[in-house]
Amino acid sequence: MSLNRDVLWYKDAIVYQVHVRTFHDSNGDGIGDFQGLEEKLDYLQQLGINAIWLMPFFPSPLRDDGYDIADYNAVHSSYGTLEDFRKFLGSAHDRGIRVIIEMVLNHTSDQHPWFQESRSSPDNPRRDWYVWSDTDRRYKGVRIIFLDTETSNWAWDPISKSFYWHRFFSHQPDLNYDNPAVREQMWNVMKFWLEMGVDGFRLDAVPYLVEREGTNCENLPETHAVLKELRRKLDEQFPGRMLLAEANQWPADLRPYFGDGDEFHMAFHFPLMPRMFMGLKLEDRKPITEILQQTPEIPALCQWSLFLRNHDELTLEMVTDLERDYMYDSYAESKTMRLNLGIRRRLAPLLDNDRRRIELMNGMLMSLPGTPIIYYGDEIGMGDNINLGDRNGVRTPMQWDGGTNGGFSSAPLERLYSPLIQDPVYGYPAVNVLRQKASEHSLLNWMQRIVTVRKSTGVFGRGSIEFLYPANHRILAYVRRLGNEVVLVVNNLSSTAQAVELDLRRYKGNIPIEMFGGNMFPRVGDLPYLLTLGPYQFYWFRLRRV
Amino acid sequence: MAEESYLTDDFLRQLVNVGEVDILVGLPTHNNAQTIGSIVQTIQSGILRGFPRERAVIINADGGSRDGTRELVTGVSIDDVRPASNLHALRTLHSISTEYPNSPSSGAALRTILAAAELLRAKACAVLSPNSANIEREWISKLLSPIYRDGFDLVTPTYRRHKFEGLLITNLVYPMTRALYGLRIREAYSPEFGFSGRLGSQFLGQHAWNDGTEGAGVELRFTLAAITGRNLICQSFLGEKMHVERHAADLVPALRETVGALFSALEPDFPVWSAVTHSQSLPTTGADHEVILEPLRVNRKRLREMFSSGVAELESVFQSILSLSTLAELKRIAALGEEEFHYPPELWVRTVYEFAASYRKSVISRDHIIQALAPLFRGRAFTFLVENRNASEDEVENNIEGLCLEFERLKPYLLQLWESRE
Repeated sequence: MSLNRDVLWYKDAIVYQVHVRTFHDSNGDGIGDFQGLEEKLDYLQQLGINAIWLMPFFPSPLRDDGYDIADYNAVHSSYGTLEDFRKFLGSAHDRGIRVIIEMVLNHTSDQHPWFQESRSSPDNPRRDWYVWSDTDRRYKGVRIIFLDTETSNWAWDPISKSFYWHRFFSHQPDLNYDNPAVREQMWNVMKFWLEMGVDGFRLDAVPYLVEREGTNCENLPETHAVLKELRRKLDEQFPGRMLLAEANQWPADLRPYFGDGDEFHMAFHFPLMPRMFMGLKLEDRKPITEILQQTPEIPALCQWSLFLRNHDELTLEMVTDLERDYMYDSYAESKTMRLNLGIRRRLAPLLDNDRRRIELMNGMLMSLPGTPIIYYGDEIGMGDNINLGDRNGVRTPMQWDGGTNGGFSSAPLERLYSPLIQDPVYGYPAVNVLRQKASEHSLLNWMQRIVTVRKSTGVFGRGSIEFLYPANHRILAYVRRLGNEVVLVVNNLSSTAQAVELDLRRYKGNIPIEMFGGNMFPRVGDLPYLLTLGPYQFYWFRLRRV
Repeated sequence: MAEESYLTDDFLRQLVNVGEVDILVGLPTHNNAQTIGSIVQTIQSGILRGFPRERAVIINADGGSRDGTRELVTGVSIDDVRPASNLHALRTLHSISTEYPNSPSSGAALRTILAAAELLRAKACAVLSPNSANIEREWISKLLSPIYRDGFDLVTPTYRRHKFEGLLITNLVYPMTRALYGLRIREAYSPEFGFSGRLGSQFLGQHAWNDGTEGAGVELRFTLAAITGRNLICQSFLGEKMHVERHAADLVPALRETVGALFSALEPDFPVWSAVTHSQSLPTTGADHEVILEPLRVNRKRLREMFSSGVAELESVFQSILSLSTLAELKRIAALGEEEFHYPPELWVRTVYEFAASYRKSVISRDHIIQALAPLFRGRAFTFLVENRNASEDEVENNIEGLCLEFERLKPYLLQLWESRE
């Protein structure tokens, strides 16, 4: 198998997000590595995903899980070598799996040689690579993102005796994108990896690249100009590669990141994710349809990226206070589950390990407009460990089997980069790949099935969406259409059985064919189409005129 | 679940779509197009403010409006409320409407609302009247919170009223229910009240809906049913009560709805009220009453004249209803001039109790008994107006309290009349 040549490949992609450290340890040092990841590519191919998004794997002091990069052109020694990465990349491509890597543009680690030089002297040529100030009163009023740990966006540097700007942790100084040399250098970094063959970048924290006095220093036109310049170079020199934006913003503020199709190919739809959880808890489609109504049209070549969970907390920045309180009370009763403005939990524990709800949420992930991202381990219903600090509780080793260290590593327990999940419900003896492979009705096999069904049509990746608004608000129903292909999706968000009447007169004469089982349902006529759905049940129907 | 057949298929379909709810607000209407839109907005706003997380529905039971009332109820969008009130709805807030069969009646409307509440398994419900001109969004919380959050079964309102408003309530309904049933419920007969789904179901199942009264006084019957069912009751102060429009000459229908309902309840409720020996106050949020003292023009003279002429014209009727001594006393005061006229509390209480006993015995048509009370009530109203013409708030309240105590003191007299039949 090889990669298809379609430049819109990202629209049909099903992305698997993984940190190399967490997946599989090939050399027994307790830390996952590229060789280990390569060994597990068959598993991922079998799951059906066709793109991997790798979290940062660069040399780093790892004070922010690798988002504090100390060298952009190398691989952290714990994960292997550049050659290991190159080999993994080739193997992935051989299996038809594309590789998207993380690129942290906004800031470096304070251990990065650029910063070391910059702080060494005001006369250093790299002094202007970062944002320095004699006072911490510039850019007043700009919000602090990591509220739980930071009190200011300025940090005092005792070496150069001045303040430096940081939007995230104080050990992550922001690069100065007003400096052309910085812009050029960061493109060179991207080019380095593109020439090696990576298929795209997930660009981290893009709203914060440029600062201007009197603004909130987010989403500034100057930032968009930087990003457009990168995109132009990418298209000119590496056509068919992709940029994915990490911009945790409201839909209207996100829209500019697509530009006129000349900025990002994809962007995460951050506000949708918490509202899917909210809709499920409320048993009401309102939060979901409301946010999607507010979501602006995007250029034809662009795509939203959807996810249920990821390596960060379930962010509640893009919700109202009322919604945030509701989400905390519903999904994070214990304060230890909360971090910053979010909830640091995995999918299965969030949903009380309720298989029906896990399936429904994945069903919506796979059928709403956008490219779905599966966070590693969620395909088997892995749990979390809220006793681990920061977001480490959702970054524990992958659970491959019930044997030593869950099959993740042969290292002694105490050398593992993180303890495995060991509780009776979610622990690796109970929840692991091997066990689920052997069980026909396991979550893993179900995920494999839904991925297959999703891939059986282009309508989910590329089709339009039209919401139906049946009077029963517990039902979320929509029609996806691509050319002559029409798919009807009906989701019951309720914990109880529901009846719903759908106005399908537009599709009169069509026969709904349930896509998982292939069975026909009664032909659509003039009358409202009556369906009954069990608790949390959903249907995907291909509407066929026979 | 026999109520299902009472509800139309279309209404049932709407209820299916709404599903189980926590909060239900019932709105009986009949040609209320002028005000209903803003009332529904106020209710929506009240629900969003007081119960932002709860599943809620507004149920409109309409008596056959021809002015587009129903369309207005269902047409009000939450988005019309939201921008002005800075409120955000987490959930879908349904407003649904149905037209119940036959002519407009508060009984049929309440029955529809109760049936809907039962089918939707509503936890806390409230009924509001579209004839209240000043419904405020806070009313929603005031009527529903004690039910939803504090476990009460019935919330009756208290209002700020003019001292001469609601004379039938202050001179008869309040003191008599208090004396007989033992609870000091200021507004036992009100178009606004809150109730638990449990109480609603209880009443729906037990009330004789087809007793020929067309549901007259059903709100009072509901309150009495809550008392006799030993439900937890409290009061909530809603503020001033303003009416969309006033009907001046509707005393007899009002008597039918209040006194008729009260008298007819006495027989089945005898085991309860006969055992009550004293009255007690209720948990009340806010004031249990407030009085407006502004001067008000009332045609007192006309009241006294109607009393005197009524006593003369209905003497033969009164002979069937009243004791000789009571009738004689009434005839005596009927002959007094305006300055000397006084219908004392004791005589008024005896009059009412004798009417109640006669009603039970059906000495004449029960409806005639109720109608015959009208001129006598006017006489009592005259005395109340005169007594309180210059009275302060406390003095008015003292006078009402005095009348209540008289009803309580003379309760044995009613028991004696009641048992004499046995």
